[in-house]
Amino acid sequence: MSDESRTPVQGPVVEEQIEFTLMELSRACGADEEQITALIVEGVIEPIESSGAGEPRHPRRTNPAALPAARAQWRFSGTALRRARLATSLARDLEVNPPGVALALDLIDEIEALRAMLHRLGR
Amino acid sequence: MKFRDYYEILGVERNATQDEIKRAYRKLARKYHPDVSKEPDAEARFKEVGEAHEVLRDPEKRAAYDRMGENWRAGQDFQPPPNWDAGFEFSGGDFDGGAGDYSDFFEALFGSRMRQAHAQQRRAQSMPRQGQDHHAKVLIDLEDAYRGARRSIRLAMPTVDASGHLVTQERELDVNIPHGIRAGQHLRLAGQGGPGIGNGPPGDLYLEIEFRENPRWRVDGRDVYVDLPLAPWEAALGANVPVRTPEGSVELTVPPNSQAGRKLRLRGKGIPSRPPGDLYAVVSIALPPASTDAQKEAWRTMAKAFDFDPRAGR
Repeated sequence: MSDESRTPVQGPVVEEQIEFTLMELSRACGADEEQITALIVEGVIEPIESSGAGEPRHPRRTNPAALPAARAQWRFSGTALRRARLATSLARDLEVNPPGVALALDLIDEIEALRAMLHRLGR
Repeated sequence: MKFRDYYEILGVERNATQDEIKRAYRKLARKYHPDVSKEPDAEARFKEVGEAHEVLRDPEKRAAYDRMGENWRAGQDFQPPPNWDAGFEFSGGDFDGGAGDYSDFFEALFGSRMRQAHAQQRRAQSMPRQGQDHHAKVLIDLEDAYRGARRSIRLAMPTVDASGHLVTQERELDVNIPHGIRAGQHLRLAGQGGPGIGNGPPGDLYLEIEFRENPRWRVDGRDVYVDLPLAPWEAALGANVPVRTPEGSVELTVPPNSQAGRKLRLRGKGIPSRPPGDLYAVVSIALPPASTDAQKEAWRTMAKAFDFDPRAGR
């Protein structure tokens, strides 16, 4: 384990080069697929809109009975990772339910936008 | 090893009810959650509070902990008395086996027992499974995002040896950081995460990029802001001045009558992502101290030449 690790490793930039499946996103968050699905249904994270003429992938436009089949089709942009990780860690550590997580994330986004503004102004 | 007073950490009495413990934990967890809190030691406090809750919420562990007596004080040197936990059963429940996040004190009391229970559960699941994905942060300088960089990261991997003891294996990994990367982005290193279970493949390692604070630069996404102090005459008459950017100095033309706060854009000189960001030089006016008589006279001459009231219209 010691010698081979000295060769530099490289990997893709998640936000620019990666699309996640539901399973991959769940694993990256250390959560199970049900937890991630609950966040999607709540609108906290959204799958990428299907570009082709195929099945509609979007959960809120999917018949609930067809949900399990649709889930295998979902793809998520790499930028969903940060939000999904934040959401699952809040849900796990603070026992917040999905609507509460959605609210917390909206407020966190707002605070970050305000902080970035202050930062740009050099305060 | 120092004794930890879990009741003190949660701020509850020793005879607190399970509900009181839960309420105290929730309140502190919200206060110190590292994703939400801006307290300087949030992460350490959050772990401490989580550990206290882990012990006190579980009646088995709480009873065992209580039996060591009330005479210990936080911070005292401590060794667990022999057979201190005789007669207690630890079911091991939802212990995640990740270890590493717990204090030595917790490890000494509960670590091996919980791991045994956990290992038994694992053996029961004989299906090969992929290892867990791991996450780590890596600090780079803004300059590294312009040129790309190689970074060594030290990773601590808690593993359990044959006798059930926890050993932390340290390994170093050299990582190529591509140029154009921005703070908050992640690199995915395939197969560098947790080991697989039962011949399953290892998990992945995600590295989150953060920029080291540098008073010279302010970064917003792919754009970079830098202060540009000007002498009053440079700001008034216009000038060509050097501006320091993360890739070296460039010459910038300051237009006449540039007020403080004006942002002069250097297109494409921000972080070289696709598309590249811009660099903004933010004008500030620096006053030269008027010390000699000649210097004071120069300002007086200036005052006469201008019919200027900076507070007009206030």
